[in-house]
Amino acid sequence: MNCSKCIQMFDYYSDNIFTWCTNCGNYGIFSAVKRALVAEEIDPKDALLCFDIGCNGNGSDKISGYRFHGLHGRVLPFAAGASLANRKIKVIAFGGDGGTLSEGINHLVHSVRSNYDFTFILHNNENYGLTTGQASLTTRKGKPMNAAPDGVVVEPMNVMEFILGLKPSFAARAFSGDVKHMTEIIRAGIKHRGFSFIEILQNCTTYNAETPHEWYQERVYDISKLKGYNKADLESAKEVSKDLEENIATGVLYEDEDSVDFYSRLANRKGTQTELVDEVKNYEIGNFLSRFN
Amino acid sequence: MTNNRLVIKICGSSGQGINSVGELTAKAIKKLGYKLFGYREYPSLIRGGFASYQIDFSDNTLRSSSKKSDVLISLGRIATHKYLKDLNSSGILIHSLKGMKFEQDEEKFIKENRIKVIFLDAFDMADKLGGKTIIANIILFGLMWKVFAFPIEVVDETVREVFAGNPKYIELDLKAFEAGYNFDLSGVEQIKVPFKKNEKWKNSMIITGNAAVALGSISAGVRAYYSYPMTPSSSILSYHADFYKDTGVLVKQAEDEITAIQMAIGSMFMGTRALVATSGGGFDLMTETISLSGMTETPLVCVIGQRPGPATGLPTWTADGDLNLAIYAGHGEFPRCVIAASDLESVYTLTQRAFDIAEKYQIPVLMLTDKQIAEALFNIDSFPKDSEVKRYLVEGDELKRLISSDRYKFVNNGISSRWLPGSSEATFVANGDEHMEDGSVNEEAVNAKQMMEKRMKKLETLYQELPSPMLYGEETADIVFVGWGSAKAAILDAMDQLKKAKSSQSISYLHFDYIYPLKTEEIMDLSEKARKVVLVENNYSGQLGNLIVQKTGYRFNELLLKYDGRPFFVEDILNYLKKL
Ligand SMILES: Cc1ncc(C[n+]2csc(CCOP(=O)(O)OP(=O)(O)O)c2C)c(N)n1
Repeated sequence: MNCSKCIQMFDYYSDNIFTWCTNCGNYGIFSAVKRALVAEEIDPKDALLCFDIGCNGNGSDKISGYRFHGLHGRVLPFAAGASLANRKIKVIAFGGDGGTLSEGINHLVHSVRSNYDFTFILHNNENYGLTTGQASLTTRKGKPMNAAPDGVVVEPMNVMEFILGLKPSFAARAFSGDVKHMTEIIRAGIKHRGFSFIEILQNCTTYNAETPHEWYQERVYDISKLKGYNKADLESAKEVSKDLEENIATGVLYEDEDSVDFYSRLANRKGTQTELVDEVKNYEIGNFLSRFN
Repeated sequence: MTNNRLVIKICGSSGQGINSVGELTAKAIKKLGYKLFGYREYPSLIRGGFASYQIDFSDNTLRSSSKKSDVLISLGRIATHKYLKDLNSSGILIHSLKGMKFEQDEEKFIKENRIKVIFLDAFDMADKLGGKTIIANIILFGLMWKVFAFPIEVVDETVREVFAGNPKYIELDLKAFEAGYNFDLSGVEQIKVPFKKNEKWKNSMIITGNAAVALGSISAGVRAYYSYPMTPSSSILSYHADFYKDTGVLVKQAEDEITAIQMAIGSMFMGTRALVATSGGGFDLMTETISLSGMTETPLVCVIGQRPGPATGLPTWTADGDLNLAIYAGHGEFPRCVIAASDLESVYTLTQRAFDIAEKYQIPVLMLTDKQIAEALFNIDSFPKDSEVKRYLVEGDELKRLISSDRYKFVNNGISSRWLPGSSEATFVANGDEHMEDGSVNEEAVNAKQMMEKRMKKLETLYQELPSPMLYGEETADIVFVGWGSAKAAILDAMDQLKKAKSSQSISYLHFDYIYPLKTEEIMDLSEKARKVVLVENNYSGQLGNLIVQKTGYRFNELLLKYDGRPFFVEDILNYLKKL
């Protein structure tokens, strides 16, 4: 390949030193994100990476590209507004299970339903990492946590079941220990038109001893290897997503290939070639005044 | 008639078509060639309660409402009891309430003030005309038109215009109007309108403050509008949606206010112009994002249409009680600008200015309106001149020379270069965590101090550029009022009134459109020259006054504060002056 202008991994490097724990699942996720961006030939100047607040968000200055590190739980509406304003920029958003399923769960529901055109990567490490190990909605019942010394009393939520109940246009799952597979999934998410939901089952070396890297490694399987699996069938996706204990399905569980994203549904933007960012100038209001006469 | 104006008030309960007949009346009176101001009172419910639509008209400038009316048209009992005593002496009550019983004190009021009561069974008439009771309002309107001896052709034309989309109503409404107009008025003295008509007003517009927010934002190149409905700002969303086919503006009703403002900051970060509007309660939810805008130096504009709080408060009434909220909202210390509209022209102009200031200084700008401004009907012949859209972005070859650390570079005026995603190889992180010049996280004391100083420097730079408060009249007047928001309208009308009456009292008014950062030279000047300085605010604690005290130590001679959900009426000012 003639690579004078090719995007390389190097282009996404940052000089800042990582601050995650040794063997944190975030390393694998970041590696896969960079690989996916490079493989999709996205120039860092044409990428916007949006970060929530949490351990995941502490990666915002450890990668290149345009980045926004905003507020806890709010990454989805930020990314939605950004992606609507300029569709030429690839938008990827990152959030933890704490911020996404507690503080900002309303945004998750509406992002899925609105089908905004960007990719969302949920770092599901089954706890609040940055605030030192409190329970999230995905923490196992009975597990002692910071602020729950006798164990969590709430049943954990199966995120994928919840998402599939909202009729998403793209829902995938991956495991933070398999960079190659994650890369493929993220690439598929980037290519999909509409809201691409990707749950990454992420090991947390410090606050989650129950499901370490090895635990997942023994249990995950790639859905694309399952004979006859039809990712266009929502009911099949619901079926395979249930098991989070023995055989855990990963891969693109569901995709609607005819998905029409939010922006493309807007009657008044049909056929418009320019982006909202290109259209800021003085406008005449004379045409609108007759109704006030 | 008082105060050089005539006042018609139409009242009833919600759902009786008060609004539509109010609009019809306003339009028809304008077409006669009078200057008017329209004011609505209505409850926060869809059916019942009491609602009113008031039109004050005159031959010359008129900016506010009078508390008292000359003609009261009523379709409802509760509303009649409510508004009867606001009639001027010799006023006329036209109602359609069979067997209407007045209380003893009301009977007394009617007698003492020589109120003429006219009953017309409009509901029965409407029925006979084959229309629903909903045309009763038009029948009473017809009778009112005759009371003023106004020409009938104007109504014909207005009805045809208003109902152009519904031809079958035109005929019915015109019949209803005629029925009312033909009512036998013998024994009632017709009202002679003493004002001269003016061609200029015939072709003028009748427009609400919220429409001016929408139009101002369209003219300023706003390309996305995100909002969650909340009175009194909801109709900005409707206007944008009404215009969106022609404007191409992306209009999104978000799932909540937090979402609306996050979507807006996302769009602004990318480089388009996005607007959000809400009321105080919705703005409470937005405050974390105001702080984020301050930290990441991402421009942001939010309109806060005020209504009385706390909590749900009086949803459909007015107050100027959220100045403190706008100035102090958001955690941490960061520069911001707070501006407040006071009339239609200022709404239009300040909406444009808000974006200019936000983008030039890379700060959040909060624009206050209130229910009185948002929903009142202003009558204007033209809009103010548009301000030019400038972007303050790095452009052309300069983009190639940028390095990441230019984005938050320590510069003297605090305003570092800003450029947009996609425009330069020099990428950066806009970070809500304290950061270095390229946005990377940094928790060192030296950096934290320097970054805080850089950001806050922008407030000083902004202060230098902001316009001073506007003085109407002379500094040396007997009384100088100081205020902001919709109070201005009543004060200026009172000043005109006194001038017309050749009053010996001289008054003037210092008005603040730009409130934060606060300009203080003028107020210090006044404190030396004026004999008496009176703070006028539509809130309980005198929030602008407190800001002035805080900044200058100056204390006002007197306070005129109103916090009952109603706007300042011209009488509020005149009566205050009378008592002195
Ligand atoms: C409004 C707000 N509330 C609380 C916090 C504190 N906080 C920071 S990170 C975090 C939880 C992080 O958990 P998660 O989202 O799962 O991300 P992780 O650290 O596990 O990647 C919380 C509660 C905050 N920053 N902002």
